[in-house]
Amino acid sequence: MAGPLITLTVIFILLSLFVPNFFTVRSLSGIINAATLTGTITIGTTLLMIAGEFDLSVGPMMAMGAFLYGLNSVEGGNPLWALLLALLVPALMGSINGFIVTRARIPSFITTLSTMLAYRGMVWIYSGGQMFQTIDQARIYDIFNGRMDYVADAVKGANFRTASLWLIGLVLLFQYILVRTRFGNHVFSIGGNVGAAAAQGVNAKRVKVVCFMLSGALAGFAGVLLFSQFKTVRIATGAGEELKAIAAAAVGGTLLTGGSGSIIGALLGALIISMLRTGVVLANLIPADNFEAIVGVTIVGAAIFNNWIRKQS
Amino acid sequence: MSSNGHDTLVVRMEKIVKRFGTIVALNGVDFTVRQREVVGLLGDNGAGKSTLIKVLTGVHTLTSGQIYFEGRPVEIPSPREARALGIETCYQDLALVNLMSITRNFFLGRELVRRIGPFHWLDMREMNSQARSALKHIGIDIRSPQERVGKLSGGERQSIAIGRARHFGAKLLILDEPTSALSVGETHKVLTYTLNAKERGLSVIFITHNVGHVYQVADRFTVLRRGNLVGTYTKGEVTEDDIADLITGERDR
Repeated sequence: MAGPLITLTVIFILLSLFVPNFFTVRSLSGIINAATLTGTITIGTTLLMIAGEFDLSVGPMMAMGAFLYGLNSVEGGNPLWALLLALLVPALMGSINGFIVTRARIPSFITTLSTMLAYRGMVWIYSGGQMFQTIDQARIYDIFNGRMDYVADAVKGANFRTASLWLIGLVLLFQYILVRTRFGNHVFSIGGNVGAAAAQGVNAKRVKVVCFMLSGALAGFAGVLLFSQFKTVRIATGAGEELKAIAAAAVGGTLLTGGSGSIIGALLGALIISMLRTGVVLANLIPADNFEAIVGVTIVGAAIFNNWIRKQS
Repeated sequence: MSSNGHDTLVVRMEKIVKRFGTIVALNGVDFTVRQREVVGLLGDNGAGKSTLIKVLTGVHTLTSGQIYFEGRPVEIPSPREARALGIETCYQDLALVNLMSITRNFFLGRELVRRIGPFHWLDMREMNSQARSALKHIGIDIRSPQERVGKLSGGERQSIAIGRARHFGAKLLILDEPTSALSVGETHKVLTYTLNAKERGLSVIFITHNVGHVYQVADRFTVLRRGNLVGTYTKGEVTEDDIADLITGERDR
């Protein structure tokens, strides 16, 4: 975790010093809000990467979660039922990924590349090929991603949203699961040396399937957060999220080859990327649309830096 | 040979056949291990040493044949069952997870936890102290149980794997090429741990193609060639050179 923490601090200080309006409550709360969706997905992505796998299908699972949640919560729908569906269906989709990877022994890159396309088709079918939006103001939307007006009233420009609290809670929960439970120990072991883990009686297939399920459920939850904020979901919602999440995980110190990483690092990675986006927009040096180029350079730089830090310890 | 002294046999494998598709990896091999003995399992690459051991440890299921453990016929469908019987394996590359700490490796798959209701969490303090004292007990001094295994030397890693097996009450210890990647000094250490284990009542299968190493510690030698049993010999019966010839097939017995 030392690597991403240093990266975050250095970038934060540089942007604060040289970019006007960066070091303001408004910008900082915006950075955090913008990191919540990718951050939520990155938790699952990080878990899978530590276990030595990838999930490229999180984008459509997020869209599916948002549709299920949106369509079932409006006009007198039961919001809890909507939430449950938005978590369970993507979890089921994740477990299908897991079964294909562990039973048919297809590498997760190929498996989830295929299901990314197939699941997008399922979203299309479920949604009837149309975007969905509502002007309903269900209470559950405020619970998951509402404005925190009492904070904004107290501190001018502090536009925090409740989703950031959910994200922090999930990060702490999954960090705990990862380093303080048997399951977490097994996740590290199968990513580090699957043969050694199996020889010690670790059920690598089961652990992997559970990781894929969690990745799906978290993507579904990201859909819940998304719909709660924008009350809109399109079929293409979440496209590209898989790569943002992998980038955030890598910047956060997780090894692409498995066996090492942390959820808190994942959060830091998501924040670093969000911070850069805001910094680039505010600095106005290059067009904001070209922000991806900066992210590309940062990912490689952070990966090199994290490797170097790892060797020093 | 296998018909005598069943009561002292820890393992008896009879007419073991293992086929992978049309390839015959093991062709009716007999193999026994007595109590408190070190058996050298020798053969060139592809002779069937690893396959035989993987059948015994539940990694592969056998095509035909029968395994007896402490006199009882047993089935070993997975490594879990092998472990439950008291068979522990220290694989050359598959022993430890280099990115994890000594303690986490030591207790991998057998983590100690504390519970409240449905919740559990790892008891790291207890595991650290047990790992340290268990390794110290058998003469392995580690700097810190939280150290990553990848930072240790090959000999230290082997010794931790051996120490772990002994700590968890193994009756039969299988060492897969334990010395093949080690320096002379480290090889010596691993051979010492092997003899220590035997003195404490364990049986050891020592797999290698280095006759020199195993000759120092083994009581008997079983030689395989291309999936067939060449023979089993006691130490006085054959010289190092004899065994080397039997492995390569320069001489048939």
